[in-house]
Amino acid sequence: MAPYTLTYFAVKGRCGALKIMLADKDQQLKENLVTFDEWMKGDLKASCVFGQLPKFEDGDLVLYQSNTMLRHLGRKHGAYGKNDCEASLIDMMNDGVEDLRLKYIKMIYQEYETGKEAFIKDLPNQLKPFEAVLAKNKSGFLVGDQISFADYNLFDLLLNFKVLCSTSLDSFSALKSYVDKIAARPKVKALLECDDFKKLPINGNGKQ
Amino acid sequence: MLADKDQQLKENLVTFDEWMKGDLKASCVFGQLPKFEDGDLVLYQSNTMLRHLGRKHGAYGKNDCEASLIDMMNDGVEDLRLKYIKMIYQEYETGKEAFIKDLPNQLKPFEAVLAKNKSGFLVGDQISFADYNLFDLLLNFKVLCSTSLDSFSALKSYVDKIAARPKVKALLECDDFKKLPINGNGKQ
Repeated sequence: MAPYTLTYFAVKGRCGALKIMLADKDQQLKENLVTFDEWMKGDLKASCVFGQLPKFEDGDLVLYQSNTMLRHLGRKHGAYGKNDCEASLIDMMNDGVEDLRLKYIKMIYQEYETGKEAFIKDLPNQLKPFEAVLAKNKSGFLVGDQISFADYNLFDLLLNFKVLCSTSLDSFSALKSYVDKIAARPKVKALLECDDFKKLPINGNGKQ
Repeated sequence: MLADKDQQLKENLVTFDEWMKGDLKASCVFGQLPKFEDGDLVLYQSNTMLRHLGRKHGAYGKNDCEASLIDMMNDGVEDLRLKYIKMIYQEYETGKEAFIKDLPNQLKPFEAVLAKNKSGFLVGDQISFADYNLFDLLLNFKVLCSTSLDSFSALKSYVDKIAARPKVKALLECDDFKKLPINGNGKQ
């Protein structure tokens, strides 16, 4: 019986990183898929602390906010660094990933036709900090010598950028290698190739 | 948080002109301030700083379960702070009224959590970094619209109690703190 339950729409959205981490850490996940019609009824929304999905359950603990879920699972499954110093650096990198994810989300949902080109053009400026950190750290991870929740989060976002523009990582050798290595981790590879994961649209409005 | 935990803080104030020179910006991991130094550890991202200090000074709950709930509440505060920042910097003249009108909907979740928890804090029975963050944001809302908390008894009481903590009170009354504009464009 799965200890973890995720309630979310039938999209990858803000749950890609979470699913990739759980797969990599060999954890089961029960998924409750919510349709748009069910959501519009309002009962589930009213029960969510901030009126939003995803919702994550670990036994009696109910969590909202996707980054909270990443930190929770990072804490439980050794993906939050090996000491407080690394934990803070991982927090910093994840906050940076979240800032970039917000820019992506804004373009996708509010400015796709008008803003996609400008977003792609500016993307190298947004990717530079992560390239620099990876090039400096040399371990193949953002912080320290083991994978963290910030890595799963950045990896998931980079996959979205490759779909948006297939050449977006071309001038970033550390990022390219990073994506390839994480994608090659056996359990990550299995998830990425699995039908249930592949069939989910990245975003709720069908744009990508 | 630092004042309340009796911690000293050295502040390097950066002027707009200095920032526009570009050297400092180029040295920042994400090209932004604030920058926080704890010995050799250099951190960027304000919520990372809150978590770091929360960890060090007993403001991150008493166990992992509370830590996750604190994370959740802080992420909610951050979402609301982003809405506030967007209004202040991008839509003040056109969007201020609508923001104030929608504010009760945004405050409801925090009122509900405080009313349920009864300890006077968002999570558990001790103050956390999420409390300092929400408190700070609520102070901004009171400046934006003095009646914004009027229909939220738990939030009003919460703000009053935190503001009355002796070291917090001392900071709020200190000239160096009072003279700082809330936002960079002078709007509030």
